[in-house]
Amino acid sequence: MQQAALSVSALAKSFHGRRVLHDVAFEVNPGELVAFLGANGSGKSTTLKCVAGLTEPDAGHIELGGSVLTELSGRQLQLARSQAAMVFQKIHLVPRRTALDNVCAGALARVSGLGSLSPLFFSRELRQEAMGCLERVGMADRALDCVGRLSGGQQQRVAVARALCQRASVLLADEPVSALDPNAAEQVMELLAELAHEENLAVAAVLHQPDLAQRHADRAIGLLHGRIVFDGPATALDEQVLENLYSSERNVA
Amino acid sequence: MSLRTPPPPMNIVSASSTGLKLAPSTLPVPRDPRRASKALVWGSVTVVIVLLHLFAIAGTDFDPTLLVDGWQGMARFVADAFPPDLDWEKVVKPGLEATLVTLWIGLLGTTLSIPSALLLAVFASRTTTVHPVAYQVSRAILSFFRAVPDIVFALIFVTAVGLGPFAGVLALICHNTGVMGKLWAESMEETDQGPQEALSTAGASRLQQITHGSLPLVVPQFVGLLLYRFDVNVRSSLVLGLVGAGGIGLLINQAIKSFQFDTMLTHIIIVLILIIVVDQASGFIRRKLAV
Repeated sequence: MQQAALSVSALAKSFHGRRVLHDVAFEVNPGELVAFLGANGSGKSTTLKCVAGLTEPDAGHIELGGSVLTELSGRQLQLARSQAAMVFQKIHLVPRRTALDNVCAGALARVSGLGSLSPLFFSRELRQEAMGCLERVGMADRALDCVGRLSGGQQQRVAVARALCQRASVLLADEPVSALDPNAAEQVMELLAELAHEENLAVAAVLHQPDLAQRHADRAIGLLHGRIVFDGPATALDEQVLENLYSSERNVA
Repeated sequence: MSLRTPPPPMNIVSASSTGLKLAPSTLPVPRDPRRASKALVWGSVTVVIVLLHLFAIAGTDFDPTLLVDGWQGMARFVADAFPPDLDWEKVVKPGLEATLVTLWIGLLGTTLSIPSALLLAVFASRTTTVHPVAYQVSRAILSFFRAVPDIVFALIFVTAVGLGPFAGVLALICHNTGVMGKLWAESMEETDQGPQEALSTAGASRLQQITHGSLPLVVPQFVGLLLYRFDVNVRSSLVLGLVGAGGIGLLINQAIKSFQFDTMLTHIIIVLILIIVVDQASGFIRRKLAV
């Protein structure tokens, strides 16, 4: 078996004295799309945020592309973390800038100096690479459109292109399709699965819709009250597993 | 309410009478235990406000009868001012030239404060600052520049560079840095943190996050506030003229001192036109930007 792109073990996190993650451990391999499922408050988003550095875990071990994040700090940690690119539910692009400029911004960790502070000074090579990323997500024809003029689904694809321009090996997607209509959601999920299978990316996506996971994911990880209670092929997500994941939501204190 | 209820008379407008009406609750209305203390608070606030106004009236010799008794003085003043003196060589031309100076003072006072205001705004915004100390220090600097009126800055600079428009420009730069920096910092704090956060996870440096994630989001607000400040600064530079910083304010001051009220009226009309034009122009550009 190949080396995992992302491996997490013994991850723990509390908010205001309430334990939200207990001993979370999983791996995501290159070439697979792993869906994280669970009810609201089950800890699936928190898990992803710990990996992305948006939340500091209390304890645990996170290994990403060969570097152990939990042993690094400062700028080194930030650079090591850029091995994982993130796609957000709220997309988080700059609406007044073109799709191309937004995608180029994904490469900022690689460029430095005063020239990196304005899109005016982005190099030809970088623009060329960004065009490639836009082409990969099917948005090359809208490269010079301001992002604010694109539809939600198109914006999310541009955001995926920005993540690709980061040259990451892991793609973290936090509810990437929750704000999209069913058609756009389907397209973005197809894109994420394609990127895993064809570009050998490791994709971890927090999803709210089990049917999307069943259709597009290779593997699913189910969380309940901050613990992993299911880790298996997406095809094994049957009624009983889902019942267990979602029905007990009312019992949460 | 049953359908057979007759319609209300036409002169009673009561939209809710045909809609849903729930039966009154059988539960007792709970007594608010804080009711007495609320009444006490409101009562004492009212007393304090009334007292403050009584002190203020005494302190400012506020007496409307004086205005009624002295109306003739005002009427004489206005009668002297009409008709305005429209002599081109002696009044209108110098007035227009001085107005241009006023406009230039306002322009430079606004644009030359952009670098300092921008720098301080980035440090003084919780979302972009580099360190809590930098945040507090730049907030303090902005507060100082804002608190000292431009006219005081003008009086200080006059002692260094002498009477004239340059002192006015320097004064406006100082005061405007304080005001615009504060407004910009606030508009940065109100904008969406998302893009900045996204670039942070992508490994962008702090400065890159600001120039690619924060600033592009606030450019329209920044330009809008800049135009608003230009508008205000042109008006301020009029007042600065009164303390010797040149421009049309100076001419108005001279006209009053030499009792040439008809000349003064001409200058005031020019000022009025200038302010309306600047106000309309900046409003027009701001509306275009808001789209």
